Amino acid sequence: MRYTSERSTDPGLLVLTSLAEGPKHGYAITHDVEQLAGVRLGPGTLYGALARLESNGLIEALPAEDRRRPYRLTGKGSAALSEQLQALEYVARSGLARLRVAKALQ
Amino acid sequence: MTRRLAQLILLCYPLAFRRRYGEEMRALLDETPTRAATVLDLSRCALAAHLHPPASLADVVNIGDRLRASTSGVLACWVAFAAAGFGFYKTTEDSPYQSAGNSHLLLGGAHLTIQILAILASVAVLAGALPLSVLALHRARRQRSLRMLVSLPIAAVAVFAGLTGLLILVAHSQPSQHPSTAGGVAFIVWGLAGLACSAVCVLASRRALFAVPVARRWLLVAFACGALVTAAMAAMAIATAIYTIALSVDASALAAEPNGPLQATSVSVSLVLLLVVMILAGTLAATATRRGWRSVTQPDTSEAI
Repeated sequence: MRYTSERSTDPGLLVLTSLAEGPKHGYAITHDVEQLAGVRLGPGTLYGALARLESNGLIEALPAEDRRRPYRLTGKGSAALSEQLQALEYVARSGLARLRVAKALQ
Repeated sequence: MTRRLAQLILLCYPLAFRRRYGEEMRALLDETPTRAATVLDLSRCALAAHLHPPASLADVVNIGDRLRASTSGVLACWVAFAAAGFGFYKTTEDSPYQSAGNSHLLLGGAHLTIQILAILASVAVLAGALPLSVLALHRARRQRSLRMLVSLPIAAVAVFAGLTGLLILVAHSQPSQHPSTAGGVAFIVWGLAGLACSAVCVLASRRALFAVPVARRWLLVAFACGALVTAAMAAMAIATAIYTIALSVDASALAAEPNGPLQATSVSVSLVLLLVVMILAGTLAATATRRGWRSVTQPDTSEAI
């Protein structure tokens, strides 16, 4: 059974992770997140997350290209993403270590 | 079909959200396959955008347009609420319910309260809409596109009135007094036609409101009436909840009777469903009113907006 925690599928975190690679517009973010995490963000969820992130100053919009508008990480967004990923990494490392200990004791 | 539905649901997003992200969202919808899940996702997120609007969008729309969006939002919610209210009236209009209301104070009191509030709210809707309608009609004499917009609700109401008259004629020509499947289907068709007519009226009046320059005082009058209507909706939803509970406790036999156009549910289930629609419409109206209130409390020097 595959278990996906809510934290690792948080749309905001996924969008920030996608933008860590460079500026992207809505379609490119959706496609990248699907490849990266196997999560298909609906248009409502995606733009809800983009609006929240932009409102908090974590991302900024670049000039529109036709009907699409690319977004990029701000310095604050980069720092917030790094902090979130380090917290997730700590949890992942601790969890794996505990599993190894439990397996050795069996 | 789902793509068209998804595009329509985009119209349910708050005005500021649509102005900022609408075009990008439409572009994304054009580029990706649209499924039922997409429609559900957009519906859920449109509601969330109304309940928790991002702070950065506060300055996207000017004060006049925010007041317009607030009043037309309350009007749309009132139409949905009134449809549920009509369902409540049809469910509880028969003499056994009146007798139960006479013998149980809570039932009779809640029913009377709903009726009084419905009349007050309807008067407030008319009072708020009248100055704006006069302005729109006056301007429509010179503006062809506006003439088209103001004639749409009139045409929709005329078609609906014609359909209602036709169904009344057919109903009177049937001798049976018992509910039949054909009668139930006819009622559903009539209800859907009423909703379509209401949707045309709301959308056309909203478009017209945004197309006409209106003095700030008239928008404030409409907003104040909208706030009254919102308060009345909240009070009516509470009274309906009291009525529903009281009916189940004091007149459980009536509450268990079959109900609905096809007699598919019980009276209590119908009332709970209607109450859910009322609460949803009331919550959205309260959100629109709160947003309008923020615009009112902001200083503005312009007269015509």
